[in-house]
Amino acid sequence: MTEAEQYICIGCPIGCPLRLEHEGDKIIEISGHDCDRGAKYAKQEFTEPRRDFSTTVAISGARWNRLPVKVNRQIHKDRVMEGARIIHELQVEAPVKLGQVLIKNVFGEEGIDVVACRTMDRVIS
Amino acid sequence: MTMYDVVIIGGGVVGCSIARELSRFQVRTALLEQCAEVGFGTSKTNSGIIHAGHHSPPGTLKGMLVVRGNELYDRLQKELGFSFRRIGELVVAQSQEEIEILEHLKQQGVEKGVPGLEIWDQKRLLREEPNLSHTLLSALHAPSAGVINPYELAFALIENAEKNGVVLKVDSPVEKIEYQKDRLVLHTPTKKLATRFVLNCAGVFSDKIAQMVGLNDFVILPRKGEEYMLDKRLQGLVRRLIFPVPTKQSKGTLIIPTYDGTIMVGPTAQDTFDRYDVSTTYEGAKQVFEAVKKICPSISERDTITEFAGLRAVSNTNDFIIGTTAVKGFINVAGIQSPGLTAAPAIAEYVCDILENEGLELIKKPDFKPHIPKVSHFGNLSVAEQKRLIEENASYAKVICRCELVTEAEINHAIDHGARTLDGIKFRTRAGMGRCQGGFCAARCMNILAGHTGQAIHQITKRGSGSWIVTKMENHQHPKTGKEV
Amino acid sequence: MSLKWKTINIQKPGKKFNILGHMEQAYDVVVIGGGPGGMGAALGARESGVARVLILDRESEPGGILLQCIHSGFGLHYFKEQLTGPEYAERFLNKVIDDNVKIMAGSYVSGIAVDSDGTKQVRVLSEDHGQVIVKTRAVVLSMGCRERTRGAIRIPGTRPSGVLTAGLAQKFVNMMGMLPGKRIAILGSGDIGLIMARRLMLEGCEVVGVFEYLPYSNGLTRNVVQCLEDFGIPLHLSTTVAYIHGRDRVERITVAPVEKDLKPDLSQARDIQCDTLLLSIGLIPENELSQSLGIRLDLITGGPWVSSTLETSMPGVFACGNVLHVHDLVDYVTRESLLAGRFAGEWAQGVRRPVDNIRLIPGDNVRYCVPHSLSTEREHTIYMRCKTVMQPCKIRVGNLMEKKLRFVVPAEMIMLKIKPHLLDKFHGDTLRIDILPEDA
Repeated sequence: MTEAEQYICIGCPIGCPLRLEHEGDKIIEISGHDCDRGAKYAKQEFTEPRRDFSTTVAISGARWNRLPVKVNRQIHKDRVMEGARIIHELQVEAPVKLGQVLIKNVFGEEGIDVVACRTMDRVIS
Repeated sequence: MTMYDVVIIGGGVVGCSIARELSRFQVRTALLEQCAEVGFGTSKTNSGIIHAGHHSPPGTLKGMLVVRGNELYDRLQKELGFSFRRIGELVVAQSQEEIEILEHLKQQGVEKGVPGLEIWDQKRLLREEPNLSHTLLSALHAPSAGVINPYELAFALIENAEKNGVVLKVDSPVEKIEYQKDRLVLHTPTKKLATRFVLNCAGVFSDKIAQMVGLNDFVILPRKGEEYMLDKRLQGLVRRLIFPVPTKQSKGTLIIPTYDGTIMVGPTAQDTFDRYDVSTTYEGAKQVFEAVKKICPSISERDTITEFAGLRAVSNTNDFIIGTTAVKGFINVAGIQSPGLTAAPAIAEYVCDILENEGLELIKKPDFKPHIPKVSHFGNLSVAEQKRLIEENASYAKVICRCELVTEAEINHAIDHGARTLDGIKFRTRAGMGRCQGGFCAARCMNILAGHTGQAIHQITKRGSGSWIVTKMENHQHPKTGKEV
Repeated sequence: MSLKWKTINIQKPGKKFNILGHMEQAYDVVVIGGGPGGMGAALGARESGVARVLILDRESEPGGILLQCIHSGFGLHYFKEQLTGPEYAERFLNKVIDDNVKIMAGSYVSGIAVDSDGTKQVRVLSEDHGQVIVKTRAVVLSMGCRERTRGAIRIPGTRPSGVLTAGLAQKFVNMMGMLPGKRIAILGSGDIGLIMARRLMLEGCEVVGVFEYLPYSNGLTRNVVQCLEDFGIPLHLSTTVAYIHGRDRVERITVAPVEKDLKPDLSQARDIQCDTLLLSIGLIPENELSQSLGIRLDLITGGPWVSSTLETSMPGVFACGNVLHVHDLVDYVTRESLLAGRFAGEWAQGVRRPVDNIRLIPGDNVRYCVPHSLSTEREHTIYMRCKTVMQPCKIRVGNLMEKKLRFVVPAEMIMLKIKPHLLDKFHGDTLRIDILPEDA
């Protein structure tokens, strides 16, 4: 049976309303796009929607209370909340350096790490 | 339980004026304020005008006290250093009938001893105030009228009163008053106080307080006034207070060049039953701008930078209600609507007379200190003065509020002198009053306040009780302050 | 004057680094503001060949507002990779430090005076050093912008706590570790508002909706999709907040659809329970210092009027970044500020470019153009914004050129390069730029 998914293209501010028809995992037709980027985006969203993910974690002994961190690769959209939960457990202590790995293989997946997005020195209060 | 001679209920300008006046004498005085700081009720939202006195009819209590109050302001300002300037006021006539009313007002003022009243013709009016409408016919000029920052007055009065021994208790709403043989006992959520005299200065709540001792002889009908602050670029649009010819309900919608140079327009006069209703409305804005545009056509609603509303404690007698009651020791100082701010210092003298008549002995303290240290707003000083201050105290070089140029030293001073909330800091220093409205400095002020008071950041409020600003993050171990070190 | 400056607590990763070193007697270029614009300008100045460059930053550490923008999306043009705000800032800070630019943090510029020989005396209030006068040949203004507040759009109602700008909320959440509330409504669909909607959801808040009075979102489509749709946050277009309720703290808001005149239709109003209202209703260049210097401002951009060398009406004072006009991407701030820094550096070395001879006029559907004038001898990049959405369309530059565009939207800056060979043939003194429907 043919089903349809609706997306809004994020390629540019026009935001084409995209329609993707599929039978199970098989894409039948993509419509509504003004340019190739739309078709590519709809396909990506259908097969494996990926997102950048960044948040903050508690840090002690630093200038600020929170340290910005990110997952070094895009992760599946459905894992964002799970990622937030895991990462928010983390408590770090200054000093921390930009790019320092704070959690290795965060979802048990090789190469997906949580890294610090800035340097924070130890500050004696 | 501590025994007082006098307990004042309500820390508005009236309660604070009386507290300060009583602090001259050897009288044990306490002031109970329901909010986190004094001046946070009607006083904070007052138009900030010291009236010349010709508006109120002779023969009324308010008419009697307003002229005396006006006279007292020069000395008060010298002693307490709050922002006050006599800029004069103009009542402008828009029709032939109104010109007659101007004559009447002038006559009324002369009888009451208002100095310097003069009728200006159109030519003179437009020469002095060229931005006013060319359709105005004439005006009554009263040079003794002035502008003031009313919250600064309340802060200064209570600071001086405390310095001279008055006990201030904030966050202390009176919930019950018990009458015992020779004394009254007041209950607040956390304490009980016994006293010979109670002064009911509770503003819009004063009828409720009177009911606690069984008095039902007056009611307060709050009358709301909305005010609109305009952008600083309109500074200088008018140099004096501009009044239309008054109606029965109010003195009308005014154009007020505030002490700080901002043009403010308002207030409205809307009766309300809700004693907490300080909301601004679409209708209010419409009324205000329609009214002032007739007098000054270049004013536009688009220039509004902020707006607020306050409640006048209007009583059913339409005059001040000051005096003893059927309950011995319970004295009303109620129904203080306009010109209450102007009259406040005179009300304080008047109340002291009443207390003396009632048998309270007023013996002058030999060591009464009439002054409080003058605070200079760093941003208003010359380069040389700024340099000197920085050499004395390095925290004058640490700018916290960049819109109004307020330094850490001034914030520290405000906290040392009573500020307990973000609004308390704002109304003492102007931090957060500028164009960004606290977007940049709020977090910094919260850190400084937390550092001084030992509160955690999430315990800091905008103006006490439920006005919290931030809340804790679930997953964050909270250090004592969110301090940037 | 040879002051020994205290080390401030910023280190280059891996080694101790004293950013300030010794105070020079005078500088070639002083940059006011240490955000991306200021850092770019400092690097640009060094590239031009001047040695003594100083950044004055009013915050306790340089980096500007990027430090609280922890989401990714920065650097795609400049670094060719997606970075978060703090990463973008730190990469630049390292470049600036490596390039021997001096930085004085915690410094508020309270005034600038000009000597008869054109030397500028910058008066600084410094947390560490008190009142200091810094001498320089050229100045670059890069103070950034601030957010519009409740007062600017007049929302009636009470004045409880819990009404704050999205940027302040961002600082509370991302740096101080505090939440602005638990149940949050957002007025305005600017990118900061959308980004904050997602941030607050991730931190366990409930975001009840984003309200936008225009019929379209003001933010990037990517943010509408990834910050709102992914989290099921409703976006209500053509809807505004008509009233704020609550005595001490926000208790609820009244929202209403807007009519054609953009005023709320109160007959269709409804109430929404929330304890917080975030405002994401636009940014204003922060030009109080420029105004105090008497610099000519453009009423539309809110920033200084600048020539093609990004010089303001005050000789030797340049401007770049969000203090000049509000940008959509930090990469463009960097590009513009490198240029401003280079011209400021040249100026400090006594180079005087020919005076601009063509004034730009914003025409149909063009809200503004920056710079405001051009010279004929070199290539120019003009930044513009349109007034309304148009697609497809074309940009017409006088009678010199036309360029087709798939679309223009007010939220996105338009960049236009004009080659010198086009201007060579031009003999007028004003050049009008229009954005027109494709078939016009």
